[in-house]
Amino acid sequence: MKTRIFSILCENVPGVMMRVSRCFTRRQINLDSVTVGIEPSGLARIILSFQADDHTTEHLRKVLERLIPIVNVEIIDPEKAAVREIALLKSRRLDDREVMEFVQKVEEKGGRILEVRDGIVIAELSGEHSKVEEAVKELSPYLKEVARSGQVYLSKE
Amino acid sequence: MELTGSEILWKSLKAEGVKDIFGIPGGAIIHAYDRLYSESEIRHILVRHEQAAAHAADGYARVSGRPGVCITTSGPGATNLVTGILNAYMDSSPVVAISGQVSTSLLGMDAFQEADMLSIMLPITKHNFIVQRVQDLPKIVRLAFLISTSGRPGPVHIDLPRDIQSAKAEVEIPAKVELNKYIRLDPKPYEILQAVNLIVKSERPIIMAGGGVILSGASAELVELAELIGAPVVTTLLGKGSIPEDHPLSLGMLGMHGRMAANLAVSECDLLLAVGTRFSDRSTGDVRYFAPKARIIHIDIDPVELGKIVKPELTIRGDAKRVLRALIDALSSRWQRGRTEEWGKRIQQMKRELAPRMDYDNIPLKPQRVIKEIGEVLGSDGIVVTEVGQCEMWAAHFYCVRKPRHFVASGGLGTMGFGFPASMGAKVAKPDHVVVNIAGDGSFLMNSQELATCVVNNIAVVNCIFNNRYLGMVKQWQDLFFGKRRSHTYLGESPDFVKLAEAYGAWGDRIERPGEIKEKLKLAIESGKPAVLDIIIDPDEHVLPMVPAGGRLDQMLT
Repeated sequence: MKTRIFSILCENVPGVMMRVSRCFTRRQINLDSVTVGIEPSGLARIILSFQADDHTTEHLRKVLERLIPIVNVEIIDPEKAAVREIALLKSRRLDDREVMEFVQKVEEKGGRILEVRDGIVIAELSGEHSKVEEAVKELSPYLKEVARSGQVYLSKE
Repeated sequence: MELTGSEILWKSLKAEGVKDIFGIPGGAIIHAYDRLYSESEIRHILVRHEQAAAHAADGYARVSGRPGVCITTSGPGATNLVTGILNAYMDSSPVVAISGQVSTSLLGMDAFQEADMLSIMLPITKHNFIVQRVQDLPKIVRLAFLISTSGRPGPVHIDLPRDIQSAKAEVEIPAKVELNKYIRLDPKPYEILQAVNLIVKSERPIIMAGGGVILSGASAELVELAELIGAPVVTTLLGKGSIPEDHPLSLGMLGMHGRMAANLAVSECDLLLAVGTRFSDRSTGDVRYFAPKARIIHIDIDPVELGKIVKPELTIRGDAKRVLRALIDALSSRWQRGRTEEWGKRIQQMKRELAPRMDYDNIPLKPQRVIKEIGEVLGSDGIVVTEVGQCEMWAAHFYCVRKPRHFVASGGLGTMGFGFPASMGAKVAKPDHVVVNIAGDGSFLMNSQELATCVVNNIAVVNCIFNNRYLGMVKQWQDLFFGKRRSHTYLGESPDFVKLAEAYGAWGDRIERPGEIKEKLKLAIESGKPAVLDIIIDPDEHVLPMVPAGGRLDQMLT
């Protein structure tokens, strides 16, 4: 079992996510990450990551390609893809010294400060999954809430 | 021209060539039914339970090759379709189901008779729609039929809200649509070359024919290829009839309740050419021991099936008829005649030595004898539909089918209650053929209310009830694998099936002795009425031989 990534190009219509996700549910496969974006063509691109063996992965690709709203399914090799994940951070109410510390730490990690108001800092971090994971963990004493995207992959080939 | 949704629906269905439709009206489909009141070109069969409408449409499709259509109201009307639609999905049967839905403004409000049919039908259809704008309806109906019948067939459901049925739009019928899926029908030339290279090296080839051969109308090609290379043909349950079963190369059905010769031949062959089959566990037994000496070539129109269960040496995606034709053309110059002579002798020897016995004179009757005599009365043109369980497997094992689309059974889902409504659909599609439902008493009671439909609409289906007062197949498993503990499989001495038939105004008769079968079956057929023959069979008879679930095909219980 290893991490698999599907990049699914499909019609942007209600129910398409359910048509896709049930193919995994039925086989008791958990989706580790899901992102959806609309392409310039108006089609949607769903990027999924999950754990499965080779046989199941190939079977799932064919099952998905059989669905009417799906245009194609690309299997992305994580080794040959650009990978990014975004985290939006909201701090708890910090005192002036803590705000300074927090801003410094976020910027050291390549993050951006989006807003500071009444001691509450909103910041953005992006990068590979492990990098974001590590940063969020380290900043956790300051944090009240974190919103994280799934992983977004783009094949470099 | 400006039309209402209801007018669009019927016009679109007529444009698809629909002549018969099975259904029950209700509040959320009442506009559509109001329009149907003045339609003369479509015959509507009012069934007594929506499940029967779905099975009837399925049976209609299987014998005619044309999509079967059913229509119901929302909520319970639509949910009653579920079993029938899944049955059609599992067996790749082209069914278009339409159900009413609450008005679009009420969707999601738990309105009266509202069910989330888009979600419920989604996993059990090839595709499904909810109509949100009346102007989309012509396109949706056209797509529904196109999707249902293209590539590997299957059911499609259309959810039609009440307000859409009365809304008006300017539309064109039939709508122009394009489907980019299910269009690859021809095999790649290099795949044919690879297949031929494997076939010419084999000495003991076998062809395993599934329902796909029948769906693609490839029976002539199947027989031609089998004769060319001297390959015997085994079929799956749904493949029965793809080759005439009295053909010297036909070995009958393989699998759990297959013929011994079929299962042994598969275990001995050195090449297995599987056409239009999905290698169901009921066909293969333990996959690790399935065709252990063979290289496997798998031909299917649905790429999902290729490599799903077995690991073939070669897979060919394409329509069975076209692939078989390409193989015949390529092999005709390369095949060395006489190469399979020894194998042919071995096959004929197995057929002789392992022929099933059917000539019992016992009372109570042995089902084998009953099947034999039904076959003698029906000849090659009669259509046999079956319920599910022992009755089905006796029919599958012993009944000799001579033409494609003349044997109909619920394969993948194994739906008790399927046979009677499906035979009703078959009779509507083929009114000039005798249609017999080989039923068990347990299955028959699951949709026996359709006797009313048959009587009122003059649909003369003959139900042959193999009555042993048991849920027989479960009882058989209990007898064989659960220490004869017959837990809740005895149904008791009710009903009297002859009186039940008579209560509905149908023909009823009882058969208890070997001499009576043909005579009473002929009388029932000649009555021209829907009929019920209560055939009292030996309650202790098992369907044998049998490969226990997960067992090996070459190790059958006898």
